[in-house]
Amino acid sequence: MTPPSAGAGTGTADGSRVPAGRAVRRATAATARRRSDAGIGQLLGDLYYALIMVAIGIGMALGVVEVARDALRPAPVVPAPGPDLGLPSLAGLAVLGFVGVVLSLAGRLGPVGVGAAEATWWLPLPVDRRGLLRPTAARLPLLAGGVGALVLVLVDLTVQGYGGTSADRLVRFGALGGLGTAALVLLAGVGQSLGAVRRRIAAAGHASVALVPVLAVVGALTGWRLEALPSPGAVVLAVLTVVVVAAAVALDRRLGRIPGRDLRESGSISSQAVGAVVSLDSRELGRTLVEGAARPRRRRSARFGAVRSASAAVVAADVALLVRSPRHVVQVLGATVAPAVVLVVPELASTAVLAIVLVGSGYVAMLAGAEGARRAEMAPVLDRLLPLSARRVRVLRTAVPGAVAVVWSLGAFAAVAQLHGDLADGGAEGLMAWLALGLASAPVWAGAAVRSAYRPAPDWAGPLVSTPAGAVPLGVLAVLSRGPDVVALGLVPVLIALLLGAAPVPVLVAQGVASAIVVAVCVRLPATAAGGAGAGAGGAR
Amino acid sequence: MPASPVIHADALVLGYGGEPVCAPVSFTLEAGRALALVGPNGSGKSTVLRAVLGLLEPAGGELQVLGAQVDERDARFRAQVSSVLDDDAYFPALTVAEHLVLTARGHGVADAADVVADLLDDFGLTGHADVLPVALSSGQRRRLLLAAGFARPRRLLVLDEPEQRLDQRMRSALAARLRDEADAGGAVLLATHDPALLEAVADAAVLVGDVESPVLPVTDAARAIRSEPTR
Repeated sequence: MTPPSAGAGTGTADGSRVPAGRAVRRATAATARRRSDAGIGQLLGDLYYALIMVAIGIGMALGVVEVARDALRPAPVVPAPGPDLGLPSLAGLAVLGFVGVVLSLAGRLGPVGVGAAEATWWLPLPVDRRGLLRPTAARLPLLAGGVGALVLVLVDLTVQGYGGTSADRLVRFGALGGLGTAALVLLAGVGQSLGAVRRRIAAAGHASVALVPVLAVVGALTGWRLEALPSPGAVVLAVLTVVVVAAAVALDRRLGRIPGRDLRESGSISSQAVGAVVSLDSRELGRTLVEGAARPRRRRSARFGAVRSASAAVVAADVALLVRSPRHVVQVLGATVAPAVVLVVPELASTAVLAIVLVGSGYVAMLAGAEGARRAEMAPVLDRLLPLSARRVRVLRTAVPGAVAVVWSLGAFAAVAQLHGDLADGGAEGLMAWLALGLASAPVWAGAAVRSAYRPAPDWAGPLVSTPAGAVPLGVLAVLSRGPDVVALGLVPVLIALLLGAAPVPVLVAQGVASAIVVAVCVRLPATAAGGAGAGAGGAR
Repeated sequence: MPASPVIHADALVLGYGGEPVCAPVSFTLEAGRALALVGPNGSGKSTVLRAVLGLLEPAGGELQVLGAQVDERDARFRAQVSSVLDDDAYFPALTVAEHLVLTARGHGVADAADVVADLLDDFGLTGHADVLPVALSSGQRRRLLLAAGFARPRRLLVLDEPEQRLDQRMRSALAARLRDEADAGGAVLLATHDPALLEAVADAAVLVGDVESPVLPVTDAARAIRSEPTR
């Protein structure tokens, strides 16, 4: 190992020299590089591959914008009576939601942290931590800035269209997104160095996200609306630049003030999150991020007085998990309101857009309801203690997602009824039909929740298919599609009803049959687990 | 004028999320002494050690290490306090010897190569000096961590159940090394479940648990360990 240079370091009590933190970091990295046998050719190859992936990603995003523009209806020349939000207003609210997501992630991931090896071998050294942590501290703001720039450009393109914007305007939006997002992450880092509790930073992000549907409803009811997204002025960009520079300098100077325990926790969560992303394990990613923002507190133990059986215990545990997680409750409420918000934006109030929003918001609500099943799959503590068969456990775990789906359906399908004029005078029969269709489709979401929660780990041993974006592992895709696959198939009757503009009895019957099939498929055990009824119930996949 | 103690804890309250994990803890550790924390699993021994190392903020009481409030962000604190916790993380591309050299040089040890060679020999790792940690057994990785604790200057050595994953011979060698550490003027604070290690190393012990305990003679603490309930 190349010894870290002592030249720039500090003296110790016995007169010896401690190296600079930067020297320690570089010596560690140099040794790792030498041993990895990675030459300049491989480095350039990796860089080329990364650039191609980014270019493909941007190209796909621009394609989505193009499709979205085509799906939008023209804005009415004369505003229609009733609630009216407008597309620019919704885009503004979407930016607020993006700010919330950035803050939430910054709080959960640190933003400054070190991995387990660095925490064990670097942090106890009496070297300056600033030199150790500089690259780590710069990584997340840079990444966030890049993503922020892209998101704001896409938002402007979606609202204005290619013909309604200009290169100068896009550059300004890109700069606004990049600088604003980087500033948020850097300020979160400064907060971390000042001792701010990271989960409070994340909670501020959650609050911003939760505000989006609330402001949308309030805006629609009060008549507030943006006529257009204002192009960011030079003064705004200059101020943001100053903020970014000031925050970067402040964070750099305060890196040594971040407590070691905080660096360890942040690094641990970041490492797990990166591992989950690399292995395409969205379930693990969700667990990591949820636990990263969890408050370490004890709760008064519930008496569970109403629990009289093993079956009731499983359901009660899932209910307790949901109601003790305000984030998931807000997630359900937000998803329930989302379809109604779409209807108050004239450009979005179409069957196609509503169908997309129904699927998206339904999936968000489903994830909140599936939390009990997802955690039980990871650690089936309760399931193993109860005298229940594996299949019975799966059936019971559809109860909470099913209840959540019922709540969401009432809101979502009321929006569908409104789109088709069935909320107007005399439309009670149509409204009831749509609500009946929503209730009939709720089991599909419940089954999908259990199917996705109990899916096996991604299978990397399957065949690879070559695509322009690189090799795609089919085994992994097959695993990741568990859950969404039954949603796509089980909601075909709903799709037909949306196309018909009504929910006639045959469609209702078809939906009931489809829901029954989906639930039967989703609670079925794989052959290896079917024989293991009883004690190992929860662990069976 | 007597020197200030290395550690002074008075009615120290520790916990997570505002909930204490054990009764308040009080003890004093002076240079040249070894103090053991004993108690069943989950009693709060590791929590006390984490507070001493500045990895956990006390919820109440007083805690001073080396005559000052604990602040592990201070490089002077880190230069004087060595610790071996239950970490099991390593740089995947650095060999066993390189981990120790990094530690020694990072603390400004002038003759790092010699110090590391001696430690590799003492901890039975000479034959594995050029091996990556991933190729070591669990016990060998534990020995590497312990060696790192001794590869650097220190006034206080903090160890969390150092006997874990060690064979009997290495436990005895470790006990002798820890006793030598205290006899040479260093201070040792360790948590342990091993009554033999306790009796060979410690001058006194504190029983950590639901009830506030005075500092105990080692024989009483060893008896307490032997009567710990099996959980």
